[in-house]
Amino acid sequence: MSPSTRPELVADGFQSSRPRWAQLATSADHKEIGRILICGALGFLFLALVELVLMRIQLLVPENSFLDPVSFNRMLSLYGTTAIFFFALPLVFGLFYFVSPLQIGARGTALPRLGQVGMGLWIAGATVLYAGFLFTPSEAGINPLAPLSERAFLSNNGVDAWAAATGLATLGFVLLSINLVATLRMMRAPGMAWRRVPVFAWAATVGSWLMIVIGSVLLAALTMLMIDRNYDGIFFSDGTGGAPLLWQHLSWIFFTGAYMLILVFAFGALAEIVSAFARKPLFNRPVTMVSLAAIAVIGTLAWMQNMLTAPIGIGWMYYAMLMALALIVPFGLVIFNLIATMAGGTLRMRAPLLFALGAIFAITIGLASELCHSLVAAAWHLKNTTDATAATHFALIGGSVLGGFAALHYWFPKMTGRTMGESLARISFWTILVVRLLGFVPLFFAGTHEGQVVDAYKYFGEDDVTGYNVISSIGILILSVGILLTIANAIFSRVNGPAAGHDPWKGETLEWLTLSPPEPHNFDVLPDVRSARPLRDIREAIGRRSRRSEQAASRESQPVA
Amino acid sequence: MSPHSPGTDQIDTLLTISIVAAVILMIAVTVALLYVVRRFRSERGVEPRQLLSGRALQFRVGGFLTLFATLLFVLGVVLTDNARERPSTGEAGLASLKGEPLQIKVTGQQWIWRYDYPNGAFSYYKLVVPTDTAVELQLESTDVVHTWNVEELARKADAVPGKTNEVSFISEDEGVYEGSSATLSGQAYASMKTAVEVVSPEEYEKFVEERQEEIEAAEERVNNLIESGETP
Repeated sequence: MSPSTRPELVADGFQSSRPRWAQLATSADHKEIGRILICGALGFLFLALVELVLMRIQLLVPENSFLDPVSFNRMLSLYGTTAIFFFALPLVFGLFYFVSPLQIGARGTALPRLGQVGMGLWIAGATVLYAGFLFTPSEAGINPLAPLSERAFLSNNGVDAWAAATGLATLGFVLLSINLVATLRMMRAPGMAWRRVPVFAWAATVGSWLMIVIGSVLLAALTMLMIDRNYDGIFFSDGTGGAPLLWQHLSWIFFTGAYMLILVFAFGALAEIVSAFARKPLFNRPVTMVSLAAIAVIGTLAWMQNMLTAPIGIGWMYYAMLMALALIVPFGLVIFNLIATMAGGTLRMRAPLLFALGAIFAITIGLASELCHSLVAAAWHLKNTTDATAATHFALIGGSVLGGFAALHYWFPKMTGRTMGESLARISFWTILVVRLLGFVPLFFAGTHEGQVVDAYKYFGEDDVTGYNVISSIGILILSVGILLTIANAIFSRVNGPAAGHDPWKGETLEWLTLSPPEPHNFDVLPDVRSARPLRDIREAIGRRSRRSEQAASRESQPVA
Repeated sequence: MSPHSPGTDQIDTLLTISIVAAVILMIAVTVALLYVVRRFRSERGVEPRQLLSGRALQFRVGGFLTLFATLLFVLGVVLTDNARERPSTGEAGLASLKGEPLQIKVTGQQWIWRYDYPNGAFSYYKLVVPTDTAVELQLESTDVVHTWNVEELARKADAVPGKTNEVSFISEDEGVYEGSSATLSGQAYASMKTAVEVVSPEEYEKFVEERQEEIEAAEERVNNLIESGETP
């Protein structure tokens, strides 16, 4: 008996009588909802890339007239909203939602209908955002700072559509988070104490708690904005007792928290992938888990890092700097532990590990350059320059695209029963890795040296930033092609990929115990969990047993005298 | 950027320090990744040593990172405090102020900057200040949030409606320093530029007096028109 045989009984051949689309539309199963969120996220990634490329074409040459300022501002608002609310966060929650119940050995989720409603709200949000094209999309930017977002300055319904769209999506994420928190709290397999929970499922817990907190804050802010715009409210308008800075505080709490959430997700996935492909346990698991929680808390508390040029007291600025710099410790420990896990291992250089390595590299560049934005006086120079664009994109593309793709390649066999095409994955990976340097490094220089400002629909020849922008535009164009290759790979491999078997990577967590794709009830039988690596325990037990029986057999076959 | 005031000198120093720190971290992680990938790449099937933790190593790494962060925090506070130190007017500066800073009200509006001088004169787009004189800007906004940004002379600062933000700087070098607004403020945001012209104190006095006379003459003309019934 080989050690990889699954020791479990499975009732296979269960057939649903309903057509596939009806099953998808009505199911509250966490796997179906996870699939919808992941597919939707990849679709919106495509749209976000289209919007980004359109903006970069406008910024290809100085004083370009490809887009007028209003169209550019609309593209900008759509791009930011799509990238955060309709690509990154749904990819994060889709993977959390699909994988983490399997990882803890749950046969479903605690509040399945709540999650289904959450997914429905997210789809409603996406519909509202893009229905904005039927009238007018928002022109107020990625984070529409009040009072620009007030009706006095943008009187069409674009900002209302934006607020409704992000509000619906955020409420959806909060509902999904509540279900995840309840599931991960109550439905872990026997013996799976928190210290034995897989790191990705731990990241799902941390991320869901974080979303419940920051999502509520954003919902409050959006409600106030809606009241201001439609019912003569005065929350964010000055002179009548309102405070424009209030919007900045509330919205930056959300955006900073969402930034941290994406990174917590990425590191959770990377920890699983790195240890599976190095064939070693994660180095210092408890420290890594505590660090992820610390990133979520401390990172969100650093929200005023985005307000260092606003009229706030210097004490608050130092507080933001303290929190932001304190992040060096947990981020550093997690990255160190990931590298220490690989040291001494035997690395199998398959696509998930490649994307994981790329993600660690990109996130490091992004976070290290965010460090410059944390030091108050340096931020006084760097704030709202393209340097900030580059830093944020390195960290977030590192987390959500490279990290998300690593997770997608890793769990794709579990979702579909097939692996993603390896050669296409390699081409896509190297394109993304190399070309994103081309696309975003010039923006670092344009920001630090020339002080090129963000969000502007054009720049001028005398600003001396033409060369940087040309290189960046070309880089981002090729980067988009590289990213699209992986989306194409996923679509193609879903039906045509090589069959993967149930446990292609020799994983050590419970999701690899069940079938690929899993049956609706996930597991027939579950082992008692005795460590953080239950499948390894099972394989060892099987190995011991078969060795014993071989020894017994060989003893019996020996001549007696 | 090329700093032209003591405050931006400090900003530039801190920026350089932070970039060096960031590059050190980037190189350290990249080198470690490359080393690990080269050294431990291997064929399938070999089971490595199942090392679970190294507590001593972890403490050392954590301690080092804490030290690194603390050092950056201290440098950040010291240099930021230096950068925001109020400059004092030198001997070659504007004498009529008797050492007081030159107070100028800056108003951001969609999509132009207005500068009000102490004698009642005002100018749009371009601010004129004397050399070697402490200048204190009071930033306000009449509509949305704008960011005043002349990076060679002073820090970026937001003009928020209903609030006053304060920026002070001093410059010894005559010249024209340009900047563009740095917060999305609507359609014409990309063209919302400003400039600060640093001139000698004599030229500054001449400039504000001429501006004041021009403004008074214009007001008088308008008043005459109103009185004579020909409202403009």
